[in-house]
Amino acid sequence: MIQVKNLTKYYGDYPAVRDVSFKVEKGQIVGFLGPNGAGKSTTMRILAGYITATSGTATIDGRDVFWDPIEARSRIGYLPESCPLYTEMRVEEYLRFRGGLKNMAVHLCESRLEYVLERCWLKDVRRQLIGTLSKGYRQRVGLADALLANPPVLILDEPTVGLDPVQIRETRKLIKELGNQHTILLSTHILPEVEMTCNTVILIHQGVVAAQGSLDEVRSAHGCNSLEEVFVKITGITE
Amino acid sequence: MRPTLSLIKREFTAYFLSPIAYVVLAVFLLVTGHLFYLTLNLLTESGPRGIEYPMQALLGDEKFWLVYLFIPPLLTMRLFAEERGSGTLEMLMTAPIHDWQVVISKFIACYLFYLVLWIPTIVYWPVLMGFGAIDPWPVFTSYLGVFLAGAMFLALGLFVSSLVRSQMVAALVSLILSLFFIVAGFWRPELDPSSLVYQIIYYVSVPMHFNREFTRGILSTSHVLLYLSMTVFFLFLTVRSLESRRWK
Repeated sequence: MIQVKNLTKYYGDYPAVRDVSFKVEKGQIVGFLGPNGAGKSTTMRILAGYITATSGTATIDGRDVFWDPIEARSRIGYLPESCPLYTEMRVEEYLRFRGGLKNMAVHLCESRLEYVLERCWLKDVRRQLIGTLSKGYRQRVGLADALLANPPVLILDEPTVGLDPVQIRETRKLIKELGNQHTILLSTHILPEVEMTCNTVILIHQGVVAAQGSLDEVRSAHGCNSLEEVFVKITGITE
Repeated sequence: MRPTLSLIKREFTAYFLSPIAYVVLAVFLLVTGHLFYLTLNLLTESGPRGIEYPMQALLGDEKFWLVYLFIPPLLTMRLFAEERGSGTLEMLMTAPIHDWQVVISKFIACYLFYLVLWIPTIVYWPVLMGFGAIDPWPVFTSYLGVFLAGAMFLALGLFVSSLVRSQMVAALVSLILSLFFIVAGFWRPELDPSSLVYQIIYYVSVPMHFNREFTRGILSTSHVLLYLSMTVFFLFLTVRSLESRRWK
């Protein structure tokens, strides 16, 4: 579903992503891990089509993100880390606008709108101005936007950051449920979350892929019991 | 088509959700209202003064152009600068919509608002006719000129907005760049009208276009061409500027 080959991105002289290659099959929930500044957000932005890679290719469902951008982007639901929204719009107004932007037919947009409002627990705040919502609710609006067009691939950059424990739990549950119908690439720092929701893991360190595979594979390959130990071992932070 | 329409609708409504739009609307209508009052006085007072081309008093006036100078920067400053500042540009550029569609939508939205700015002035027309007929053709050419010149200034503002992150900087820079087109008309040294320098200045100076030609009923293709080509040029630059953002 997602195929990344020799992806490289230089910000000026600084290599943010160096020769990264991985493959995500349909229906997998992939945890994208790495310390800060490892290149996770950059890779996700390249996949989402926000920035272009310096070299290498990335394809979503066979569509190259650079050569066939519209087709590639229409297969993705993207939620960036900062979850930017138009604060002067209302929730359902914003979602309708995003539906239009994604070229959804009006009746389909309406039915999906009801569905995502339900799924992301936004029914109570549908008429509220986004500027008046708390961070957790805004995150949910972002997630609802990502789900709106029912894309086969979801790219979520730190979807549970800033949420309270109850919301975190609910979001994780939602992600696990969504994993049945969508391919999900989610990045996070919270390792227990990866162990709970994801079935595959990709660990990025200093712009290169340091570990890759299913949870068990990664754990056994490095001889550790938990993902945290693997993380610490690979990123080389010693007590 | 639907993405473009959706974006136009959202950008146009967004104007009415911010106070800047209402302030611009109020000030603009105040100034044109005052100028209309002056024109009416000239048309209706007894005595030899009078005015041959009423639209000239309305649109050829320096006061009008100095106020007008501020309007396109204020209307266009938020279009891209705010999106970059708040990060929502990322959401726009990761949607399945072409860059040129984004630029065209924003331009059409601000142009529609610009039309909304001018539409209330249409009410002056029946009032003027009520006082005795005035020649309708100069009115028509004046409005046409204003709509075309507006497109040029708005495209310029849009381009500047796509380059910077701060709305204030976008407004100021597009103000300064618009000066090139407006102030050239105010600087009136005793230039020989047949000299090359004067001709060049006249070509770019928008108020002089209005003073001499549009308000007198003359539809000069060179000016129309200037406005249209500059509009297309700035829109092209804006699309490129947006594209270049992906390569950073």
